[in-house]
Amino acid sequence: MIELLAITDDATPPEPPLVAVRSGGLSALCAPAEDAAVTADTLWRREAMLEELMEDRDLLPVRFGTRVADEAAAARAVAERRTELEAGLERVRGAVELSLRVHAPEPADAPPPEASSGSAYMHAKATRTQAAARLHEPLAGLARASVVRPAPELLRAAYLIEREAIEPFVARVRELQREHPALSLLCTGPWPPYSFAEDPS
Amino acid sequence: MKDKVLAGPLGRDLDPFASDRHGLGDALTRRVNADPESVERGLAQLVLTIVELLRQLMERQALRRVDGGSLSDEQVERLGRTFMELDRRMTQLRDEFGLTEEDLNLDLGPLGRLL
Amino acid sequence: MTGSPVAQQDVALVDLLDRLLGGGVVIAGDITLSVAGVDLVYVGLRALVTSVATAEEKQLPR
Repeated sequence: MIELLAITDDATPPEPPLVAVRSGGLSALCAPAEDAAVTADTLWRREAMLEELMEDRDLLPVRFGTRVADEAAAARAVAERRTELEAGLERVRGAVELSLRVHAPEPADAPPPEASSGSAYMHAKATRTQAAARLHEPLAGLARASVVRPAPELLRAAYLIEREAIEPFVARVRELQREHPALSLLCTGPWPPYSFAEDPS
Repeated sequence: MKDKVLAGPLGRDLDPFASDRHGLGDALTRRVNADPESVERGLAQLVLTIVELLRQLMERQALRRVDGGSLSDEQVERLGRTFMELDRRMTQLRDEFGLTEEDLNLDLGPLGRLL
Repeated sequence: MTGSPVAQQDVALVDLLDRLLGGGVVIAGDITLSVAGVDLVYVGLRALVTSVATAEEKQLPR
């Protein structure tokens, strides 16, 4: 079995043990499927391979754990979704993904949950939503695309950023952190465009 | 692996951002090793994900109406109490099935993430 | 940057796992829930999600 790691339309051959399986103008970048246990180390090694590929080409990361029997099967899989994959590559052309998580401390005087009134619950939720929007909106304005996910944090979002525009984006994050000292902002990346690989519509 | 952190909370620790990784490794391992047990467990996951999706959609809708000012104080109070109870029940259900919040952000293949 | 290198790796792992669990493009391959009955549910879910999301956007009157 082989594992599909990423799709690209760049013709540069990858370093072994990776193999490029061609299908039309697209290539599936594949590696032998390993039966090793899923650990932080194996995940980081896989991620390092993807990011090294990303340095030299635009790519769509493939959903983790996608395996096919052989190269012929990989070529068929790519051919079946050619149109969407080509559109996906255009969507992420020249861009990478940055992650943002924002943590808000629990207010020291927060009433215990059982004692809260329903109104307090709704208003607290509304306040949180507004606070998240105040952080997300300026950053979304700097991004080609963005997505917000429900999460335990105040805000968890992904931004698709032009490769050359990473620094100004990170600078804006640092600025927002200074503007909101009570919150904790964490920005990580650059990541391959995992959150923008599928058609958002 | 080079450092992925680009900007972090200066002068504060990163603990709030490190999660208890219970369940995440399992979810990825299931992705790689399809087995009958995981199909069964997957069904519970699927059902709870739908319930959670509806809960979040309803809550968002209600929040918009609260913001819009079209609800009486009593209505806001009742809505809030209902959603608090739903939230509590969801946590209980998740615990009963041994599922985390991340487990409910279900990979549904071509549909992508639901939540 | 404060925080030990180990802690930074830990938080980055959370972001990585988040992406591995639900990101990336979906192509053919082993899918955990590949029972025919569940496939039908997928289709139903897509319609449900789309219709609810659309209704939300249009803010249909009650």
